[in-house]
Amino acid sequence: MDAPAEAGFCPRCGARLHRRHPDSIQRSWALGVAAAVCFVPANVLPVMVTDAFGSSKPDTILGGVVFLYGSGSWPLALIVLVASFMIPLGKLLSLGWLLIAIRRGIRGGERQRMRLHRIVRAVGPWSMLDVFVATFTVALVQLDPLMSVEPGLGVLFFAAVVVLTMLAADSLDPRLLWDRNEIEPCHV
Amino acid sequence: MSEPTTTDDLPLASLEPPRRSRASVVWIIPLLAAAVAIGIAVQRILTEGPTITLLFQTAAGVQAGKTVVKFKDVDIGHVTAVRLADRFSKVELTVKMDRSAAGLLVEDTRFWIVEPRVTLSGVSGLGTLISGNYIGLQPGNSTKEQRRFVGLDAAPAITDQPGRRFVLKASDLGSIGLGSPLYFRRLKVGEVVAYALAADGSGVDISVFVFTPYEQYVTPETRFWDASGIDVSLSAEGFDVRTQSLVSLLAGGVAFDVPSFVTATGPAGEGSVFTLFGSQTNALKQPDPVARRYVIYTDTLDGLQVGAPVKLLGIRAGEVAEIGLAVDPETRAFRPRLLITFFPERLVTQLTPGQQELGRALVNAGEDERIKLIRHQIEDLGLRVQLRTGNLLTGERYVALDYQPKAPKADMDWTRDPLELPVTPGGLADLESKASGILDQLHDILAKVEELPLEPIGRKLDSSLENLDRLLANADTETLPELNKTMAALRGAVVVAERVLEDTDESLLSRNSAAQQELSAALIEITRAARAVRVLSDYLERNPQALIRGKGKGNQ
Repeated sequence: MDAPAEAGFCPRCGARLHRRHPDSIQRSWALGVAAAVCFVPANVLPVMVTDAFGSSKPDTILGGVVFLYGSGSWPLALIVLVASFMIPLGKLLSLGWLLIAIRRGIRGGERQRMRLHRIVRAVGPWSMLDVFVATFTVALVQLDPLMSVEPGLGVLFFAAVVVLTMLAADSLDPRLLWDRNEIEPCHV
Repeated sequence: MSEPTTTDDLPLASLEPPRRSRASVVWIIPLLAAAVAIGIAVQRILTEGPTITLLFQTAAGVQAGKTVVKFKDVDIGHVTAVRLADRFSKVELTVKMDRSAAGLLVEDTRFWIVEPRVTLSGVSGLGTLISGNYIGLQPGNSTKEQRRFVGLDAAPAITDQPGRRFVLKASDLGSIGLGSPLYFRRLKVGEVVAYALAADGSGVDISVFVFTPYEQYVTPETRFWDASGIDVSLSAEGFDVRTQSLVSLLAGGVAFDVPSFVTATGPAGEGSVFTLFGSQTNALKQPDPVARRYVIYTDTLDGLQVGAPVKLLGIRAGEVAEIGLAVDPETRAFRPRLLITFFPERLVTQLTPGQQELGRALVNAGEDERIKLIRHQIEDLGLRVQLRTGNLLTGERYVALDYQPKAPKADMDWTRDPLELPVTPGGLADLESKASGILDQLHDILAKVEELPLEPIGRKLDSSLENLDRLLANADTETLPELNKTMAALRGAVVVAERVLEDTDESLLSRNSAAQQELSAALIEITRAARAVRVLSDYLERNPQALIRGKGKGNQ
């Protein structure tokens, strides 16, 4: 049950022609899997290492959420949780769902899936928010020897998650969502 | 799917059947990501150190997730949880240690909470004022691993300096405390690191730590003494003040030294036990191997104390060992009794080198020889005991042994042990008896004065005064007229004398008197003679040779 990917050659220039993006599904899968793999260390490893008054303290994103919630500012905790944890996770799950739906040839709900794909692509760059925050903090808080903040490995993985999900979403050919569909394509 | 063909001359794109898709190169990316993630995970797991629990009485300033464990100022772990344990009597800290520190976690490793500490000997832990308290540790020497520790309440004074520990046994702690300095020749070479009551409660065991390289000076012969505060001693030998340093004055201190009379062997081993003496004098006193005991019965114990010197001819040769009373079995009267210890060897060391051999032989001779010697001293030479005042300010007294050939014969019992030495009164007692003697004499004089016949004397005085009165009246009536006559006669005599004087005036001093003429002639002669002498002396001055050669012709 493969997606139609017959290839041809351009009679003028001889370039290869594809009906759909070549290897779209595979690439999307690969990058999605890579992003999912990176998502684990991104959340386990510290994002920032705060070195204050001689004692260093590593912070993970979820640890920060817990800290914020514990210190009573639950709205902030919610924002961080949604922006840094839910959205990347949501993107990964959405991608997976889209890919599975294409693979299985599930009928119905193509419009929703299309919308989901658009949303995933739109949200992409915004997930870099906490990477920005981390880099800004690190750049600003350098009050040696009293206090300094250093980036943790988590930031790297986090950035990798964001970039990889964006690439995965981009490499997914949205037309595949509509292939194998008896429904007449809507003329918009 | 169905290609719309409007024109035939359009070249058709040749279609290939879809190939079995090969694995794309893109799969390298997730593999790489997985490899990196797994690599980090493996590294994490490998560096994951052991988790230990520490029990403390209180967790002063310890915060979960913030407080670290430091060794040599390096973070080697951090507290992950703080909770109450042992039915709320203790605090249990869960500490995640670094893998590198796993080797430090053995049976006798000790943990304590470092907080700012101000002691007399300095301020420590100031760094915690900014970084917060942390947990310090002192690695143990055991090889048995352990994961659960009971923390110390206070930091051990010495953490990781090389040196050696010794134990001092003292009767009480005095003013010695943790961190009290240990001095060797007034140099700080260590400190007190611990103290505890002896197991049987009989004293205190004080642990001292001597830093390298000074531990070599602690030998089995070393004596330790308490050098706290000021050592002021008042004795028959005067007033003595000793102190080690200002710090030991405030914080207490211990000093040690090797007495001059022993030769030090090698350094003492770790944990050697020493006695802590109360003072330097006691610590460095030479132990006297040969000690003889004698008893003295005196009339008073005033100004005597245990330890008062016993001097033979002024050389300190012993001390008072006991002071007490004895009851006379017949009269039931109390008598002060002194027991003195006599060290004959001290006398031997005072002898000239040639005679020391003889002295030593005498000291080491048998009991009979000794009795014979003492008997000779007492009976033939008149050796006697006297209590003398050594310090007029305090009234301290000492026991003096002197030869008193004039002393009355002593009644001795040579069989008693310890031997009783004969006493002659002296010293302060003597002074007192003299003073009372003087008072007695004064009494006698007063009594005699009272016995004088004062009234008859008065009556006799009265009658003699009357006689005097009568005498004076007689003088008025009989003596005065006689005196007047005498005066008149005298006046006549004076007139005659005046006349005589006038005559002499005329005969000697008038111009034409013979005496005057002769006098002037004589004066003229004298003038001439003087001139002749001057001429001669002038001539001689010019021609001194004339004295030998006579007058020459040419030198006129």
